[in-house]
Amino acid sequence: MADAKKPRAPFAPWDRRELPGLFSVEESARRVGAYKWCELKLFEALGGWIATVPELDVKMRLGAHCYKHAWHAELWHKRLPELREMNPDRLTVAPNEHMVCFIEALTEPEAPELTIEKLVGVYRVFIPHFISAYTFHLNNTSDITDAPTMRSLRFILQDEFEDWRDGEMLIQSLIETPAEVDRAAAHQARLEKILLAAGGITGSGTIGFSTPEHEGAIA
Amino acid sequence: MTVEVTPSTFTYVYFDSAYIARIAQRLIGLFGLENHNIRVDINETTPLAKMRIEFGDPIVINIQSGAFEDFSRPRQQSESATTQSLGRILLKVRDRLSPEFANAPADKDLTLVQVAIWETYCVARLSRHDIDINRQRWLYNFRNRHGFNDASDRAFEKIWNSNDLTWEQLQNISDNALALVQ
Amino acid sequence: MRKFFPVEDLARDERFNQITMNDRMADQRTVITTDSRPSRAANRIVPSRGDASDAARGLMHGIFVGEIQALEGAGRTCWDFTTGEEAPFELKLDMARQCWDEARHVEISVKLSDWMGSEIGEYAENTVLFQAACSNDPVLRLAGVNRALEGLAIDVFTTMKEFGEVAGDQYLEFAEDWMLADEVTHVKMGSDWLRKITEDDPERRKKALDFQSVVDKLFSYGGTRSESQESPIGLARRFRELAGFDDQEIDVIAKLSLAALEERKAAVLEAQAAHN
Repeated sequence: MADAKKPRAPFAPWDRRELPGLFSVEESARRVGAYKWCELKLFEALGGWIATVPELDVKMRLGAHCYKHAWHAELWHKRLPELREMNPDRLTVAPNEHMVCFIEALTEPEAPELTIEKLVGVYRVFIPHFISAYTFHLNNTSDITDAPTMRSLRFILQDEFEDWRDGEMLIQSLIETPAEVDRAAAHQARLEKILLAAGGITGSGTIGFSTPEHEGAIA
Repeated sequence: MTVEVTPSTFTYVYFDSAYIARIAQRLIGLFGLENHNIRVDINETTPLAKMRIEFGDPIVINIQSGAFEDFSRPRQQSESATTQSLGRILLKVRDRLSPEFANAPADKDLTLVQVAIWETYCVARLSRHDIDINRQRWLYNFRNRHGFNDASDRAFEKIWNSNDLTWEQLQNISDNALALVQ
Repeated sequence: MRKFFPVEDLARDERFNQITMNDRMADQRTVITTDSRPSRAANRIVPSRGDASDAARGLMHGIFVGEIQALEGAGRTCWDFTTGEEAPFELKLDMARQCWDEARHVEISVKLSDWMGSEIGEYAENTVLFQAACSNDPVLRLAGVNRALEGLAIDVFTTMKEFGEVAGDQYLEFAEDWMLADEVTHVKMGSDWLRKITEDDPERRKKALDFQSVVDKLFSYGGTRSESQESPIGLARRFRELAGFDDQEIDVIAKLSLAALEERKAAVLEAQAAHN
């Protein structure tokens, strides 16, 4: 029988969590605010596109994914006050003007024959950037002080990976000609260049490296 | 043999009587009914899809316009629906004229279960003439009358795969399916 | 992508054919017939009807396209209004949730249509549901979509669930019951938001409720839905109560639906007299 009085270490030998982390409370809140803004813009776009895509399977996937990103936005919205931001709207902002441009370019396609562009923007550009930003945050924040953010990140990353796979398979099933391969690649390149200027989901330093603004990237 | 379609022109639907007559003639040939005069009377004032036979000379088939309609394009005629509906009713005419169906109740006395087994038998034979049939639709109809169970499905299969049933045999298959689940 | 998407531009593949309420009303057969549904004593979609399975298939297809439009409508509410200024963030979260639910309902409807032997596009798609979701005021959308349209969905699913129950079709009954649970949630969502947003704006609330009344009447067109057995679809009082409708509101819808049925019957008699 275990001895109830015997002292035990507060961290079990297999628990390798560390106290230090890369982000201050303020930086963590800033990033979370940017996540919320981006997730919000994404779920709004997905919702708007549902009526514009004729492919029934895509229409239904967009409906399901719209909710997932809304839920992510909600998780970040609830996390902000816990990071000392009592007015979540104050930090619910784009990290910079380039990110605003990115959302404008992402949501530009509307015509029913542009499903490839709509999906490429989300699943080959935006969601991979979410995965990078979230993974960087998860791997660099304090295991102990920022555990609530990490828990949300894990849930959200699970969704992002699943949605990325769904979206990529839809894109592959829609691309039937070399010309469509070029269309997809061209649209991806255009959006990637804007995101390059933005520096990622949370701006420069999203995944650790500083990405000084590079005007040529947008052109 | 004559085939007549009335009315010759339509007011409330966009049907073509000559086209209907051509489809009817083809089916009459397929089912060996060439020795009979047949008139197809279409009631274009209703969107319902009921069909009724009046035996005499000619044999008159009363059809409500919904039976020939393309439901996705209201008031337009559907070749597929016209073929299926005429095919079903003409096979029923052929059954009625044969001694194997002498004991079948009059149409007005048929129960919903009896209507379902006869329709299934007609549609099944129709499907073997290269006419596009949604089998599941008729299975669903059959299940609604016989129950959603294995016995019902076995009865359906038996009828679906048969060509030379008498009314009594048809009725027996149905009765057995219903008895098994009671 | 534009804000406010016109109903004519709803994207569909070649299997679908869309019609409007005007197209439907242009079909004179529905009023001049001597064998039309409103003249029959019992039109409720029940297994004892001679054309039960075909009627159920037709209604199922109507549910299928209705769910697509409800999905599109909820999605557009996420996009059409600026978050915070024109529509609260939390309302948009609810609309996104509704998108997922409606997407699942489309999936369920496709599976049920397969089960019943229908094909996608076999019947015309009436776009009246999306039209109710096109208002420029999010509160009017909540009234028109979440309370009128989703209220109708409660009535339809209850009718179909009972159909499955009586026919012994557990597959249908099971699926309809699940969809019914979602719809009760959606109506409640609409009722709660309507109350919350218009708390200090009685004029806006009145406008929204008036709009709901118009949509309710539109969806009762020809007495398709009422408490009379002459209507194919019944009024599901118990589930409407669960969704937050009070007795008075349900009575109003009941009266409105019966009035639509009576109007329809009068129109049929008039048209028949003119025809004969």
